[in-house]
Amino acid sequence: MKSRNRINLFQQAAESAGAVVYHCQDVNDAAAYIAEHAGGALLYAPNDSLEQLGFSPALSRSEVSLLEMTSRLDAADAVAGLTGSNYGLAETGTVVIDSTAELVRLASTLPERHFVVLDPQAILLGQQEAGQALRDLQHQQPADYLSYITGPSRTADIERVLTIGVHGPCELYILLLSAVAQPEKGVSS
Amino acid sequence: MSKTRTQQYKQDVNEALNTSRLNDALHRFGDAYLEARQRAFAELDFEQLRTDIAEMKDRVLTSRASLREQFIREARAAGATVFLAADAEEANRYITDLAKANCVRKVVKSKSMVSEEIHLNKALENAGVQAVETDLGEWIIQLANQRPSHMVMPAIHMFRDQVAELFSAETGKTESDDIKHLVDVARRQLRREYLDADMGISGANFAIADSGTFGLVTNEGNARLVTTLPKIHVALIGMEKLVPTMDDALKIIQVLPRNATGQAITSYVTWIRGAVPCGDVNKELHIVLLDNGREKLAESKTCKDALRCVRCGACANVCPVYQSVGGHVFGHTYIGAIGIILTAFYDGLDKAAELVKACIGCRACVSVCPSKIDLEEIILQLRQQVQEEEGMGLGKSLLFRKVMRNRRLFHALLRSGAKLQKPVTGGSRTIRHLPLFFSSLTEWRSLPALAPEPLRDLMPKQQQKIGRQRYRVALFGGCSSDFIYPELGLDLLKVLNHFGVEVYFPEKQNCCGIPALYSGDRETAQEMARQNVAALLEDQPDYVLTTCPTCTMSLQRDSVELLAGEPQFHAQAQQLASITYDVSRFLHDVLQVDISQLKTLPGDDGDPLKVTYHDSCHLKRGAGVWQQPRQLLQNSGHEVVEMSHADRCCGFGGSYSFTGHPDIANAILADKLNDIKHSGVQCVAMDCPGCMMQIGGGLDHAGSPVRTAHTITLLAETLE
Repeated sequence: MKSRNRINLFQQAAESAGAVVYHCQDVNDAAAYIAEHAGGALLYAPNDSLEQLGFSPALSRSEVSLLEMTSRLDAADAVAGLTGSNYGLAETGTVVIDSTAELVRLASTLPERHFVVLDPQAILLGQQEAGQALRDLQHQQPADYLSYITGPSRTADIERVLTIGVHGPCELYILLLSAVAQPEKGVSS
Repeated sequence: MSKTRTQQYKQDVNEALNTSRLNDALHRFGDAYLEARQRAFAELDFEQLRTDIAEMKDRVLTSRASLREQFIREARAAGATVFLAADAEEANRYITDLAKANCVRKVVKSKSMVSEEIHLNKALENAGVQAVETDLGEWIIQLANQRPSHMVMPAIHMFRDQVAELFSAETGKTESDDIKHLVDVARRQLRREYLDADMGISGANFAIADSGTFGLVTNEGNARLVTTLPKIHVALIGMEKLVPTMDDALKIIQVLPRNATGQAITSYVTWIRGAVPCGDVNKELHIVLLDNGREKLAESKTCKDALRCVRCGACANVCPVYQSVGGHVFGHTYIGAIGIILTAFYDGLDKAAELVKACIGCRACVSVCPSKIDLEEIILQLRQQVQEEEGMGLGKSLLFRKVMRNRRLFHALLRSGAKLQKPVTGGSRTIRHLPLFFSSLTEWRSLPALAPEPLRDLMPKQQQKIGRQRYRVALFGGCSSDFIYPELGLDLLKVLNHFGVEVYFPEKQNCCGIPALYSGDRETAQEMARQNVAALLEDQPDYVLTTCPTCTMSLQRDSVELLAGEPQFHAQAQQLASITYDVSRFLHDVLQVDISQLKTLPGDDGDPLKVTYHDSCHLKRGAGVWQQPRQLLQNSGHEVVEMSHADRCCGFGGSYSFTGHPDIANAILADKLNDIKHSGVQCVAMDCPGCMMQIGGGLDHAGSPVRTAHTITLLAETLE
């Protein structure tokens, strides 16, 4: 499947799972988008790839307020989180995030909004291609915590009524931005 | 002992049947589930996927010891501590000791059916540790001090007002029953618990042997918090969750969420391998691998397939018994069809005894199982074990052993029954009221009377007019066709003669054996199988035909299995199986008749007769026949109108609706009658005398003008 079709398929599936997909022109556009939608303190979980893209300076140039942390539990005060990701899965609109670094987990579990940067070139078709990708990520480290995220947190536990945002983020924003790094190096490692 | 238990269970059943709010909710859920599931699988080959999963799980079963070793080795290499727990007590002791050693005061838990199975919360409480459930449904259940009534949606039996009441008690304020608000309350209340807890406990959906990884498939995000925030993480995993590789787990992921909730994938899938960073140190990860009856299940020749289960809960979602009484009655810790089987092995046969008898045997669960488990067959085996241990009651036992095995005696009794019933029937073919203590049997449906002359006496008197003869077939009447609806055999004769087929009735045929088998009397069923194999093959027919799909299933499947250990009969049973057909499939697939040459009989209004087709459980899900009768009816000029839930059980289930659970049978029938009514037809067609008895009796009792007819009868009527 052509890369463009794959991106379209990904976007369709992600949106039908309740995510917002935004095509960023560049890192400043991404930072401005985050500033506009964060709604409060942002917990930024940096990694090499995001840094190479220039997220730190772009965020400080933008209006967003970054969360100052003195202990890990301060993460609970974040209103929004920003992480990278390693792959997308087009068939389900899933982002695959190496979440071994604890900050990535804190930024993607506690806040109400989660912004995740995805390189459109790293979108795979589906579960059949995911196996090798997951194994590649696992070979890079002695222990790991890998996450599939598809849309916001949801529940139907009361009278089967679908309700968005129970324990995890209520809003998921996927920012498509071409990376400088190779996906297997990890946009988030 | 077992009598008191049975009485108590029937009382629970009655209470549940009278809770209309629960029944309505479960019926609506069942409908929504089927639609969502169908959409989710639209572009996938479910049959292929489930075949692959079943094969993979069978390989796991064979090599479980080495896979377990591999998983443990890899997980340890990644920094996890692994403990093998033989039973609930060992698992609980390990976890409570760990909590005490680390001065844990509070534990947050994400959803784990295994922890329900071993009653971990109770053990923690006894050890002075507070356990907080964080899955919304589990938290509701915990606050209500109940147990889950569904494996995927634990609080499906509760309603918003009840939840609001529980939450109000928790927050000390009056919480409104708006669902979004209630979800917010849970988010707020539980947020503090994750941050305060010293230990997180999760379950797992897979344990991947070649990397020591385990996977969690979730929607709410609580499992991610439980496995991230506290410094200690305990993953409680049943041995059956082992899979060889990541690719095997991904295969299950393609099916599990689709089959559980109709989602292509859940919001989160989390893969954890080893001790990951937690603050400045690494997290302390403990994996508790639990046996607790699983090894015993693996060793059980007849039940081991149950270990293929991936816990999607679909077997409950489609179960008419579950929809009628809910998971607290039709389940123990685990609910639905798989729950019955697991209960027998994890909690003991005694705890499962009533449940195995409450299954109506409709095979709806088998058709949606993503691991291709023949749940009904396994439940049947367990029922037999229960009967062996507890006996089946003197009356039934005498009937099967002394009467039915002796064909002449059995048939003589049926003949005298036909004469003795006159005071009740007044000579008509329907019994509307039974006297005295039998009266409950006709409270909700009429019963057919025994025919004045059985098919076996009528058949030899028939003149067969056959043009160019194509085949000579033996008719297997089955008890209900033989003694209650002999006209079915005559209709079959008429239609088949028309198409060049000679029909004869082997006189020595006996009951197919299903009533005995389903009541747990395997020996009698074996004796019937021997008698029938000999009787039906004696005159070397080209085919053996039936008008009853239960008989078909018995001859095609059960006889072969029942006689597997008897070389002299087994080959014959296989031969018989290969030439046995129900009449609709025979007409459509073998004769490939051009039915349009039959004359069409219009309905009263001159238009084609409007017919809806009811799929009998054993015909559609036993023999895989459902298109053929519709095609035959349509081609013979009937207007076939689909009703809702056409393939849902009618609630007959043989003795289930007489002595087993007539109240549940009545509830299931009511659903069917409702669907028939809404289809707006003049006639409901089917291919099963059992269904005719149930549906026909129900329609008659309700004074409905809708006629009940066997497909072969409608076809015979179109012949001049």
